[in-house]
Amino acid sequence: MVDDEKLQKLKERIDTAETTNSPPPKQKKQSGAGFGFKISTEIIAALVVGVGIGLIVDKYLGTKPFGLIIFFIFGAIAGFLNVYRVMRRIEKQ
Amino acid sequence: MAAKDSPLKQFEIVPYSNTELGNYDISFTNSSLSMVITVAVITLFLTLTVNPRSIIPSRMQLISELMYNFIAQLLSDTVGDNGKKYFPFVFSLFMFVLIGNMVGMVPYQFTFTSHIIVTFALAAVVFIGVTILGFVNHGIKFFTFFYISGVPFYMHPLLIPIEVISYLSRPISLSVRLFANMLAGHTLLKVFAGFVVAMPFFTGALPLAFIVALTGLEILIAFLQAYVFAILTCLYINDAYHLH
Repeated sequence: MVDDEKLQKLKERIDTAETTNSPPPKQKKQSGAGFGFKISTEIIAALVVGVGIGLIVDKYLGTKPFGLIIFFIFGAIAGFLNVYRVMRRIEKQ
Repeated sequence: MAAKDSPLKQFEIVPYSNTELGNYDISFTNSSLSMVITVAVITLFLTLTVNPRSIIPSRMQLISELMYNFIAQLLSDTVGDNGKKYFPFVFSLFMFVLIGNMVGMVPYQFTFTSHIIVTFALAAVVFIGVTILGFVNHGIKFFTFFYISGVPFYMHPLLIPIEVISYLSRPISLSVRLFANMLAGHTLLKVFAGFVVAMPFFTGALPLAFIVALTGLEILIAFLQAYVFAILTCLYINDAYHLH
């Protein structure tokens, strides 16, 4: 086991280190490319789901091509909604 | 595409055995081997480093404790007290993705996170689990998640499909982000490695220096993507508790 004296010494060292060191600088902002990538995946994912639902609706209800058109638009709007939510989450931080 | 010297050859699946179960091919491949190595590394590292259980931790024990604290902090920040019971799940997921990415950084080692089917399977587990969790917590009221209050009633036929699509797009954006980052990074490394050989005289040193820098960036991305995967899982678990 570690003796108490040694632990006490370590505690003192940690305390001094914590008081002398200034708080770490705020985390660097995400790079532009990474940010753009994050946003674009949100839009693409929503579009993929929208087009997928549209194609399935067309196949089973025989409404070709209106299901695809309508759900493509829904998917696009959902993509923008996703982006808006991501932005709001980032702003909060 | 996967010619002899193609930068995409590294993503090829090579089966080591030809096993079939019913109509399914369950061969043990280089991807499976990579996963087995990942799980072995995680298990060995975590069990061996925390084994001494010293009060003043060694450097290696500190790494394990930092990882534990990192995810525990993440869960308590995003989900709160409810989050404690999901710690094993989120921690396993985080470690699997993180070490999987890191194992992929070793030369000649296959990166299983660069295949969308792997990341999509992980994301689908999260998605289905969170949806079940939502129904367990709220029952049929979970559907109010798709209902935005405070809009005129005639807007709902428009808004509800949009909300549903937005919800269904979660596993796709979660998996595509991880997969595309790993795929792009590893392809880029191989492309620049090709330049080293192709460039005349000693100018090949330039792309070589770039690869060194890029490898550092890749390790950062490997960590960042595992972190993003974990934090989004936490946020989705939080959503299953607190509907809007």
